[in-house]
Amino acid sequence: MVPPVQVSPLIKTARWSALLVGIIYGKQRYDYLKPIAAEERRVEEAEKKLREEQERIYKQLAEGNSFNSIQCNLILFL
Amino acid sequence: MAQAVQKLVAKVPTMVGAAVSYSKPRLATFWYYARVELVPPTPAEIPKAMAGFSNLIKGFQTGRLGQTTVRDAFRNGLVATDVLMWFYIGEIIGKGGIVGYDV
Repeated sequence: MVPPVQVSPLIKTARWSALLVGIIYGKQRYDYLKPIAAEERRVEEAEKKLREEQERIYKQLAEGNSFNSIQCNLILFL
Repeated sequence: MAQAVQKLVAKVPTMVGAAVSYSKPRLATFWYYARVELVPPTPAEIPKAMAGFSNLIKGFQTGRLGQTTVRDAFRNGLVATDVLMWFYIGEIIGKGGIVGYDV
C-alpha cells in the first residue's frame, strides 16, 4: 500500500479550525432562525383562523342567498 | 406474509456477519491512513502552521505567488476546496441536520 502522506501542519490547522468555525456558525445560525420561524408559524396560525372564519361567513351568506332566490323563483312560478 | 418476514429475520445475523467481514479490512485501511492524515494538529505543530501562513502572505506580497505553475495552482485550489468542505461539514454538525435548518 502507498504510505500515508505527511500533511503539512498549515493544512491540518486550517481544516480543523474550519470544522470548529463551521460548528459554531451552524449552531448560532440555528439559534437565530428558531424564534423567527416560531413567530412566523404563530402569525400564520392566526391569519389562517381569520381567513377560515371569513370563508365560513361568506359560505353561509352564499347559501342563504341561493336559498332565498330559489324560494323567490318558486313563488314567481307559482 | 408472516413466513416471509420470519425468513428475513432469520437471515439478519448472516447478513450482519457478512457486512462486518466485508467492512473490516476496508475499515483497517481507512484507519491506517486516517491516523496519519486526518488527525488534528498537535500543539507543537501550531507554530509551524502559523509560520507557513506568514510564509504564504510574504509570498503574496513579494509577488512570488504569480510564479506558481497552473498545475500547482490547480493543486492548491483543490486543497482550498477541501478545507472549505470541512467548514460545511462543521455547519451540518452544528445545525443538526443535513439539508436545511430544522426550525
